[in-house]
Amino acid sequence: MATKRPVLCPNCGAQIRKTGYCSACYMHIGVVRKAFNTSDYYYNVAYDKAVARDLSGAIESLKTSLRYNKKNVMSRNLLGLIYYEMGEVVMALSQWVMSVNYQSTNNLASRYLKELRQDPAGLAEVDILAKKFNMSLAYAQSEDYDLAVLQLKSTLASNPHFVKGYLLLALIYIHCDNYEKARKTLRRVLKIDKANPLAIHYLHDMGDSDENIIQMRMESVEGDGLLDEEYTEEIAVTKEKTYSGNGFTSLIRDIMDKTKGTTVKTGEFGEVGFFKYSGMYVIVGLVLGILLLFFVVMPSKERQLKEENDQLIKTYSEELAQKNTTIETLNSQLNQLTQQIYNMSISDSGEGNPLPDYTGVQHGMSDEDIQNLIDNE
Amino acid sequence: MINFEEELKRFQPIPEVNQAEEAIYNNDLRDISDIVMQVSEEIRASYEQNQKTAGRMLR
Repeated sequence: MATKRPVLCPNCGAQIRKTGYCSACYMHIGVVRKAFNTSDYYYNVAYDKAVARDLSGAIESLKTSLRYNKKNVMSRNLLGLIYYEMGEVVMALSQWVMSVNYQSTNNLASRYLKELRQDPAGLAEVDILAKKFNMSLAYAQSEDYDLAVLQLKSTLASNPHFVKGYLLLALIYIHCDNYEKARKTLRRVLKIDKANPLAIHYLHDMGDSDENIIQMRMESVEGDGLLDEEYTEEIAVTKEKTYSGNGFTSLIRDIMDKTKGTTVKTGEFGEVGFFKYSGMYVIVGLVLGILLLFFVVMPSKERQLKEENDQLIKTYSEELAQKNTTIETLNSQLNQLTQQIYNMSISDSGEGNPLPDYTGVQHGMSDEDIQNLIDNE
Repeated sequence: MINFEEELKRFQPIPEVNQAEEAIYNNDLRDISDIVMQVSEEIRASYEQNQKTAGRMLR
């Protein structure tokens, strides 16, 4: 006679009593089974939505599924996968870790986590993405829309499936009245998540009908240039909004009106060609170079020359002083010698040749007469 | 018309990798079993309290 296997509680694993209640958690097995079945039902709904790329809908269904059974590993794995697809890797990670916690063997989440662990560079990139998004959110909150847009574009360039980033970018574009770009951004959202409620809400608010939205889902986003357009345009777009009312708006509008005929226009604002101003940049560079030469290089050179000159003057002064000393010495020697000669001439005056007698020389005599007089004597 | 300030409030900072642990702890939601267990615990506690009160009254 075969022994009857005890019925175990699906919730806690303890034995079910004959009354149908669990001996440990006191839950009725009927209630637990019903809850688990409902959880599986919502998982199936979520799976169908995910296949149809209604990721937001799938997330809602999976959350409902987990409310009926938080240990539903399949629901957690799929939820993690959807978060991962939408660029929210940390949320995905948390779902997979919980999943592995509930079922450590034969679990798909183990493979996902293993793959993530094997790619530390990818994890670092995820961290940078989160930091950049949070920074752009802070910029948007402090009304630095140009910086927020630049930061978001950089984020989305490295992670083109980051739905939250697109939604924030679209919101900023709408706020800056750049509806064309907002549409482009939201079209990208709809490509990833076909029924994103926030994207549809924004599109409805911009006046797009449901037919338009359906059409947008089918349009290709390849080459829409949303992320590769020049940053200067973004700044022009957001500055106009920021500085409105103080004359800056009219200035930008004037410039845009003037360039309207010469440049290709996309959306509301003219493209600002980066290379168009390359000549101007060269001239500005040259001017800056010359100014740098005059105000930085020249004074230092001048200082150096002055120092050299001072050194030279000092050397010459020393030499001059030395020479003066020599001259003084020589002069004193000369004086001594002259004195000696004079003394000698005095002592020799009685014995040597006497001097000519000039007594006959008279006033008014010519040199010749004086010479004759001397000769005659 | 979209109210930018209100819409902006919908966007919350996303967790960074070093905040993953916190995200996991916060993720521990309560399912229907937890609620049923909590309710049954409360009923049991209330029943036991009533039993004690009735016992005291009988004595």
